[in-house]
Amino acid sequence: MLINNNPIIKEGFNLFEIDTDNDLDLSFDIDLNCNLFIKIIKAKKINVNCNVNKNATIVFWNDSSIKIETKENYNVLNNTEFTLAYVECNDYETIRDLNVYLDDDHTSALVSSASLLNCLKQYRINVVNKAKNTFADMKNYAVVLDKGKLVIDAIGKIEKGSKKSSSHQTSRALCFGDKQATTILPELLIDENDVQASHAMSIGRVDDKHLYYMMSRGLSLKECTNLISLGYLLPITEYIADETLRNTLRNQLESKLSNV
Amino acid sequence: MKNLEIKNLHVSIEDKEILKGVDLTIKQGESHVLMGPNGNGKSTLLAAIMGDPSFTIDQGSIVYDGKNLLEMPVNERSIAGIFLGMQYPQKIAGVTNSDFLRAAMNVRREKPVSLFEFIKTMEKTIDDLQMSKDLAHRFLNEGFSGGEKKRNEIAQMQMLKPSLALLDEIDSGLDVDAIKLVADVINRLKEENNMSLLVVSHYERFLEYIRPEFTHVLVDGRIVESGGRDLYEKIDSEGYDWLYDKYNIQVSAADNKARVSIGQCAVKDTLKGSI
Repeated sequence: MLINNNPIIKEGFNLFEIDTDNDLDLSFDIDLNCNLFIKIIKAKKINVNCNVNKNATIVFWNDSSIKIETKENYNVLNNTEFTLAYVECNDYETIRDLNVYLDDDHTSALVSSASLLNCLKQYRINVVNKAKNTFADMKNYAVVLDKGKLVIDAIGKIEKGSKKSSSHQTSRALCFGDKQATTILPELLIDENDVQASHAMSIGRVDDKHLYYMMSRGLSLKECTNLISLGYLLPITEYIADETLRNTLRNQLESKLSNV
Repeated sequence: MKNLEIKNLHVSIEDKEILKGVDLTIKQGESHVLMGPNGNGKSTLLAAIMGDPSFTIDQGSIVYDGKNLLEMPVNERSIAGIFLGMQYPQKIAGVTNSDFLRAAMNVRREKPVSLFEFIKTMEKTIDDLQMSKDLAHRFLNEGFSGGEKKRNEIAQMQMLKPSLALLDEIDSGLDVDAIKLVADVINRLKEENNMSLLVVSHYERFLEYIRPEFTHVLVDGRIVESGGRDLYEKIDSEGYDWLYDKYNIQVSAADNKARVSIGQCAVKDTLKGSI
């Protein structure tokens, strides 16, 4: 279903497509437990403003045939658990500016991205704990091909008053070209005591010892790097509730990697 | 006949010569044990046969089944039938055992293994080695105990059915029961596939199970003594000193290192030897 400015969301699985030559403003509230899969076929600018009142998972699959820019704001309210996942494996630039606010006590957000890139992908991901007992987690996994350029500004902020909250993040990039083309800036801004925060980051090429081990079982260099790359990318497909879609996406990632 | 012939092999790492002229022939179906004190080149020899890129071959030849191994990349050596059970298997997050093993099985057959056949083979292997049922879905060696890693090497061997297995201290880290399980798998592959074997081991119990017919002792980069079963039995009971005397060998640097204390307790006892 083609998405419009005010999408109607039903309980459970929802499939939407974005296919427009114009800019798109999306404002909506999530008032039912649901799993949204949004495929971007074509778009220039996408603005999202969303209030999350019930447990929800939103997966964006960016398959756009032109460069896109997004500005996204999500407010997580009412005890909800919110999962936001991005799959980026198209050949066009993405500039994403994302804010997730944990506004109410006992809310949680998991923001996850998997990128297989051979062009510029630039994300600013800002997750803010604004209330007590809130839980934020961010996971960015990327496979950066020869012409890829990745910039991730990963910000976890715990505001004053958000006691017993936590903010965690992991960002890992596997580089096939120059690793200078990848920049990941993890930031943790903590303004409260009695909280937990952590970050983990790695940028690098495939480990020679791993390659030797895998090749000693008969796999070619290419087969090894494919398997390792899939290990970075495939976990994101777990967020897709629909099995057919999940397999389509897996196949697309696999075939794209095997053609590298 | 798939024979392994190593002639005058010289191997170095970072300009340090480790192997200084090794000659060794293993005919198909034979079992050989490689012994010798630590740090004298046993693991290096196995790694050189497999093609570990951290070592440089300076001189000599390794031929297997009529093929010059030194001209073949690591994966082609594996497809030619060589398997190295490593002393320190790598752990690789993100790659599951099942994806890895399926890919490894497929490279050595014309038609890909069917999912049904793969699962059947995997389950039998897990059963034979009494490994945890979720092995297939776990990441390669990630979160495995030392013993599990070694069992996983043997599990891979059982599924890939090599014609020549090189096992580098595969028995270390295994408990008594696990050693028996591992030895059973090795013996079965020897019988069923006429698999040849070159093992590095210090553990008599393991050698008693697999009963290699040939023993070689590697000291300071050379095979100084070869013999039959009686040789490993003699080393097991008497150690290496008689060999040093016989060949007038200086004890290698690895055994001669200055002792270092890493703790507070019993420091005097620890250091007594060197004071």
